[in-house]
Amino acid sequence: MQTHIISLLVEDNPGVLTRMSGMFTQRGINITSLTVSPCEKEGLSRMTVAIEGSESELEMVRKQLSNLIEVVKVVDLKESEAIIRDLCLLKVHAKDPEARSEVMQLAEAYGAKILDATLDSVTLELKEEPKKIDRFVDLMRHFGVKQLFRTGVTAIGIGIGVGAGAGGGVEK
Amino acid sequence: MAKQKLSGAEIVVEELKTEGAEVAFGIPGGALLDLYDVLYKEEAIRHILMRHEQCAAHAADGYARVSGKAGVCIATSGPGATNLVTGLANANMDSSPVVALTGQVPTSVIGTNAFQEASTFTITMPITKHNFLVKRTEDLPKVIHNAFYIANTGRKGVVLVDLPTDILAGVAEVDLHPKETFAGYKPNIKPNQVQIKRVVEVLANAERPLILAGGGVISADAAEELRHLADFLGAPVVTTLMGKGAIPENHPFCLGMAGMHGQLYANRAINECDALLALGTRFSDRTTGWQLDQFAPDATLIHVDIDTAEINKNMQVDIPIVGDVKLALSGILKLLEKKRAKKSGSEWEKRIKKMHSACDSCVEDISMEGASVSDMLIKEISRILDDDAIVTTEVGQCQMFAAHYYMTRKPRTFISSGGLGTMGFGFPAAIGAKVAAPDKKVVDIAGDGSFLMTCQDMATCVENDIPVVVCIFDNRYLGMVRQWQELFYEKKYAHTGLGITPDFVKLAGAFGCYSERVEKPEDLKDALNNAFESGKPAVLDMIVGKEDKVLPMIPPGGGITGMIGTERCKHI
Ligand SMILES: Cc1cc2nc3c(=O)[nH]c(=O)nc-3n(C[C@H](O)[C@H](O)[C@H](O)COP(=O)(O)OP(=O)(O)OC[C@H]3O[C@@H](n4cnc5c(N)ncnc54)[C@H](O)[C@@H]3O)c2cc1C
Ligand SMILES: Cc1ncc(C[n+]2csc(CCOP(=O)(O)OP(=O)(O)O)c2C)c(N)n1
Repeated sequence: MQTHIISLLVEDNPGVLTRMSGMFTQRGINITSLTVSPCEKEGLSRMTVAIEGSESELEMVRKQLSNLIEVVKVVDLKESEAIIRDLCLLKVHAKDPEARSEVMQLAEAYGAKILDATLDSVTLELKEEPKKIDRFVDLMRHFGVKQLFRTGVTAIGIGIGVGAGAGGGVEK
Repeated sequence: MAKQKLSGAEIVVEELKTEGAEVAFGIPGGALLDLYDVLYKEEAIRHILMRHEQCAAHAADGYARVSGKAGVCIATSGPGATNLVTGLANANMDSSPVVALTGQVPTSVIGTNAFQEASTFTITMPITKHNFLVKRTEDLPKVIHNAFYIANTGRKGVVLVDLPTDILAGVAEVDLHPKETFAGYKPNIKPNQVQIKRVVEVLANAERPLILAGGGVISADAAEELRHLADFLGAPVVTTLMGKGAIPENHPFCLGMAGMHGQLYANRAINECDALLALGTRFSDRTTGWQLDQFAPDATLIHVDIDTAEINKNMQVDIPIVGDVKLALSGILKLLEKKRAKKSGSEWEKRIKKMHSACDSCVEDISMEGASVSDMLIKEISRILDDDAIVTTEVGQCQMFAAHYYMTRKPRTFISSGGLGTMGFGFPAAIGAKVAAPDKKVVDIAGDGSFLMTCQDMATCVENDIPVVVCIFDNRYLGMVRQWQELFYEKKYAHTGLGITPDFVKLAGAFGCYSERVEKPEDLKDALNNAFESGKPAVLDMIVGKEDKVLPMIPPGGGITGMIGTERCKHI
């Protein structure tokens, strides 16, 4: 099992998200993260899907996604060839002043922003590679995480010609 | 062309005509009153009123498989659309081009549990190649054009268009006949020349080449090219169920259908070959068996398929070619002819000829010693019908008797529900077939259980003068399931007996069909002649052995060299 990130360029039609996610459901594949957003070209949207699965499952998924009529491009982004980002908002328990200063120090070390602080909690924002966020969240659990929100990954290929951009990229 | 001001319903009908739709099978309803109001005046489209929407979909499917053109079916919102579902799933599984039009509640109330509302768009998403829920009247020209374009190109399939009443009633100024399509839809049809060269290299040097022809060969109209290649290579051809008819089964190189209920020697040939050229097939488990180490173990595997997603899905192959099989075959032939002379007289060819002589569907006068009544009836039907006649089948033993004994001589003349295995398919598919080819004889090979699932459409046949002949293999059992209970579940016949009613002769008579009982295989010829001569839709109730079995077969979990029940096969 491995995490794969698939970047899709799709027609911005109602139902396209259902069609895409249905393709995964039918094959019993779990989507671990999904983002949908407008892109540089009008009428098209970009989806970034993270799934866990074997190489052969990925291969199948890639082909089946390409078969969807409203999918314009499909790119399987390798970690080494892409910049991958996730954004995390979390509220950490920090009643005790010692814990609070420790949370703040760690936040600084990870480059997390302090968005709000009250007498019993600190709210943080971290925009990073998903793995780094995982590590940060694990650390924060130590103090007690009250709430955790993540936007899900989005990713862009390094250089030109990689990634499901409207120009460049791999045509279906 | 200048813009025209038309209602949604008028646009739909105009575009149907542009796309070449001449027939539609359907049932109206509240949500479709506007559409039917336009169809009422329309002479270019023949609408056939079916008696169940499932049959409308099967008839459109049968029409498509025989004509090669997309079939059209129509159903109203809610129950009409849900009734279509089985038929659409069936057509899509077998890559048959069908365009379905469904009524929908007005856009203003979608999602409110309005009267006769069902979310047809989401229900049919996983069983169609594509579907549309139309939200603006002005989108209709593009949607209808694309529905046909998508259904008819690449790997063919079903496209559904859901039409809310306000969209049909609404008026818009539109340009008819748009050419615009989807940026992301590029049906991949041109095979790669480098891959073709590699294939030719393998085939030119193979000592025991074999061709496995699937439904894609028929859908691509590539039978001619297939026969040339087989002749040139001296290669035998085995088919899948869906490939039956891709080559005339009496061709000396044909070894019949392979797989679970295939011919003993079709399966042997797969095991013995050293190069396997698989054309337009998806390597279903019914074809390959379940022990893949017995499937072409010594062969270089070549797979030609238009759908990339089929490559390496069920079978790891050595050389894939993604593209249209007709183009691939002409490409292969062209290079091969340059490379070497036609081959004949090889050891392999001698063995093929022997194997051909032992194939039950390839040889008309093969010995029927020890055969069951069901076996003999199919063989008799095969002898009586001419080369152009079309056979459709229900699902079960009847279907497999037909696959095993019926000699198919032309493409698009053996119409069967392969992927979904839908009981009740054969009869409405026969209706569609007869409408597509009114001058050909059309016979449905039916089981009693299957026929009871869609027999109400005898009314459609009688009313619209569609004289198809249903041959019921009347064993008063859900025979195929009973066979499995007999062989693998210690003869515990749990809920497979059908009792003694109805009397099919009277039932068919009540609908106004010609009907007759056939007690013995010898009586079939006269009965069939009577049926054809009556000029009416007809039902022949053929009494068969209650416990007739379809043999030989690969038992569940077995491989292609492990067929059981081979005692009656001619051994070479
Ligand atoms: C009771 C029962 C028993 C059965 N027993 C058997 C059996 O013993 N043996 C058997 O073989 N089947 C059997 N079947 C049928 C089986 O379930 C499958 O439907 C069948 O094997 C599939 O046929 P196919 O591989 O030719 O593919 P199809 O379903 O016909 O699919 C066509 C393939 O061709 C490709 N294609 C389409 N158009 C083109 C083109 N233009 N160019 C190139 N490629 C194209 C498609 O992408 C697809 O991969 C049985 C079914 C039932 C109900
Ligand atoms: C709609 C549907 N329901 C159930 C089945 C499962 N099934 C497969 S074959 C079969 C028996 C078919 O009986 P019949 O039509 O009498 O044909 P026979 O096998 O007796 O020739 C059944 C129930 C099916 N294929 N389709």
